[in-house]
Amino acid sequence: MKKVLLTALLATLSAASAATLVFGGNGEPVSLESGNITDGISILVQRQIYDTLVDFEDGTTDLKPGLATKWTANANNTAWTFTLRKGVRFHDGTPMNADAVIFNLGRWWDKSHPYGFRDQGRTFEIVGELLGGYKGDATAVIKNIVKVDEYTVRVDLNKPSSVLPDVLAAGYFGIASPTAIKKDGAKYGTPASKPVGTGPFIFQSWRTGDRVTLLPNKLYWGEKAKVDQLVIRSIKDASQRLNELKAGTIDFANDLTPDSLKSVQGDKNLVAVKRPSFNVGFLSLNNRNQYLKNDKVRQAISMAINKKEIANAFWNGLGTSNASFLPPVLAWANSSKVPADYKFDPAAAKKMLADAGYPNGFSIDLWYMPVSRPYFPTPKPIAEAIAADLSAIGVKVNLKTEDWAKYLQDRNKEPGFDMYMIGWTGDYGDPDNFYGAYYGANASDDINWNPANVETLLQQGRAAATQAAKAKVYQQLHEITYNAAYRIPMVHSNPLAAARSYVKGWTPSPLGSEPFNTISVPGKK
Amino acid sequence: MGSYLIRRLARTLLVMLGISLVVFVFVRSIPGDPAVAMLGERATPEAAAALREQLGLNKPWFFNPANPLDAQYPKYITALVRGDLGTGLKSNIPVLDDLKSRFPATAELSVAALLVALIVGMPAGILAALRRNSIWDNLATTISLLGVSMPVFWLGLLLSYFFGVKLGILPPSGRAGTEFNVDPVTGFNVLDALLRGQPAAAWDSVRHLVLPALALGSIPLAIVARITRSSMLDVLNQDYVRTARAKGLTDRTVTMKHALRNALLPVVTVIGLQAGALLGGAVLTETIFSWPGLGSWVYDAISQRDYPIIQGGVIFAALVVSVVNLLVDLSYASLDPRIQYS
Repeated sequence: MKKVLLTALLATLSAASAATLVFGGNGEPVSLESGNITDGISILVQRQIYDTLVDFEDGTTDLKPGLATKWTANANNTAWTFTLRKGVRFHDGTPMNADAVIFNLGRWWDKSHPYGFRDQGRTFEIVGELLGGYKGDATAVIKNIVKVDEYTVRVDLNKPSSVLPDVLAAGYFGIASPTAIKKDGAKYGTPASKPVGTGPFIFQSWRTGDRVTLLPNKLYWGEKAKVDQLVIRSIKDASQRLNELKAGTIDFANDLTPDSLKSVQGDKNLVAVKRPSFNVGFLSLNNRNQYLKNDKVRQAISMAINKKEIANAFWNGLGTSNASFLPPVLAWANSSKVPADYKFDPAAAKKMLADAGYPNGFSIDLWYMPVSRPYFPTPKPIAEAIAADLSAIGVKVNLKTEDWAKYLQDRNKEPGFDMYMIGWTGDYGDPDNFYGAYYGANASDDINWNPANVETLLQQGRAAATQAAKAKVYQQLHEITYNAAYRIPMVHSNPLAAARSYVKGWTPSPLGSEPFNTISVPGKK
Repeated sequence: MGSYLIRRLARTLLVMLGISLVVFVFVRSIPGDPAVAMLGERATPEAAAALREQLGLNKPWFFNPANPLDAQYPKYITALVRGDLGTGLKSNIPVLDDLKSRFPATAELSVAALLVALIVGMPAGILAALRRNSIWDNLATTISLLGVSMPVFWLGLLLSYFFGVKLGILPPSGRAGTEFNVDPVTGFNVLDALLRGQPAAAWDSVRHLVLPALALGSIPLAIVARITRSSMLDVLNQDYVRTARAKGLTDRTVTMKHALRNALLPVVTVIGLQAGALLGGAVLTETIFSWPGLGSWVYDAISQRDYPIIQGGVIFAALVVSVVNLLVDLSYASLDPRIQYS
């Protein structure tokens, strides 16, 4: 009897001290269906529930095994074979095997897949963007998906690609239980469904607009979660996330504004966490503008902007400025012929402008974003600083902006913007993800500059098998794009995150989200 | 009365139809394409065009010569008549499902804000009228002036920082603590927690309600206080009040029974008008306090150009305002026997 009582008492005690880990998300997930969503908070929640075929080493963009233990390409990189981990089951007991993987890849890539629910609004647009298109498209990277045996899947390609494993490691592509998708139908991924993966946490509930609650997966094949419950709250306002951190109602959070660094550092209960930079904020110059057509004018503009000073002033030490489109972790693909930093020399810039035929300068529009992004947290004051630098060489800048949805649309509509601010955060650790998005055939049509040699190099980069071979290609691209000066990199920022001091084992990934199974909260009250 | 009600309801239906048309045209006339907004920085013209086609946004608005029914508005209206408000473009969640989960949160907050406005505003107004030109009157007038002029988002942030972070006595935001997980019944958290027999969770939900209700209630509070004051002053000077006093009734009876009842009519009108304003004010309050209601939901939909959600949200909000106005009109009759509907 005594023993029963004691056990009961212990059970109550452990229940009372159940460790809940609370994350302050910057909004609520759009959907928990993998492959169909691109926003940060959806991906962050999905990372907890699903595993990807290939994964990233903690805090880096280097690949490590995920649901696949091994992946190899044929000699010319046109077929990739993935060897799957044995004995893994989805949270609902469904075995994870070649059929399950093919089911997932198939519904994303095959427009006629019976479980793609495209007639009910599913778009899977990220597959089109990262993999060139869908089944049967002339531009599609994937040609065919083949089951070799129970635990081996081969992906045949239409054109050589060395980055397929990197792409499939991106947070978008979590492998879901086919049973669950068939059961929930078109409801899968909405709050009315139960998303099922193989990941370290099991979905419990989703209160729309409020929170998602997850429980640890006791049978996880990898490192098991160290908390009893994980709650991801939706807190849209950045200052409110900071308030909640200070009040201790959440344990950790992403996407704080750079100017809250001091406030975090001044609070003994909080630890500031710099996420490794994996983005670029840049200025795009439009070739359709009569002044910007001129090489000298663009170079003068680049030389007149004090990028280092701007980065120091607006990112509070949470950003670096260099002369590369690539964030520092991909520096291996930079050319040594390009200076590490842009030259800042207003006098030389003024002279260059005079040489170009504009000794008295001219007037031009600069569009700044109406929204805050990690790569441009405060676009308007940054635009004002750029305008001030340019006015010093006689270029009069008219600052302009408009609603974000319209901004994104108008930049691509002829004649586009003269000069505008935009940026990019990477999906996976390959230079192609940065250069390919803004140069070449897949880029937006905002600068009217797309020489054939750039597209050729981009294709060579995608086909290159080794990092050394890739480096050779991207070094050339670096030189060409630097000299052309149509896109002037301003900053690579470190998004600011923070945690209560008792949060242990959190290694933020440069890619914006990571599984939270490594985190523990010893001493949390 | 019955035929009046039927006429009013019929008119409400017509108004709803009109609003559906107006909002349909309006959202599509705002520059900025949903497909581009969804794709964000990734939007290339080709990707946007493909997405637009898949979402059916490339179809004509009103009339498709090839297939008359295959246009956006006829499809929308036929679905609407069946009670189908469409599906969120990106989330794939039926708009009605979202409405069902979001509206109780907004309603709970609005009721709490109205309660704050009435419980604080009415006594303050009465006191100010009875003690005219006293320090109480000045205090009430000053506070109500502050309440009207202070932007809600600013007041919300101040309240959250001061009570939530500095003093640490109330939660800075959110709807309930993460230690509680109450299964919804009605969608009203406080009520649900009580129904589920979780008093601690109910108390926690009340604590979460306080700050947003104060922020959202600040403007109606100020307005209620001022209207009550001036309306009370009016009534107190009326002959019948003087007569009541002359009959030897106590001050208390005169104030509560004779004056207040008559002074309430304009207050009720104002409350009716404020119901619409509360829905509008909820946008900012809900965003600041991470309150999972209608306001923050529609706000996000607007920046994303999520047409079905914007349309559904606006039509529903219009319906709520119509119903509240109807209730206000009906309550006139019970407050003032001279008003009759036929």
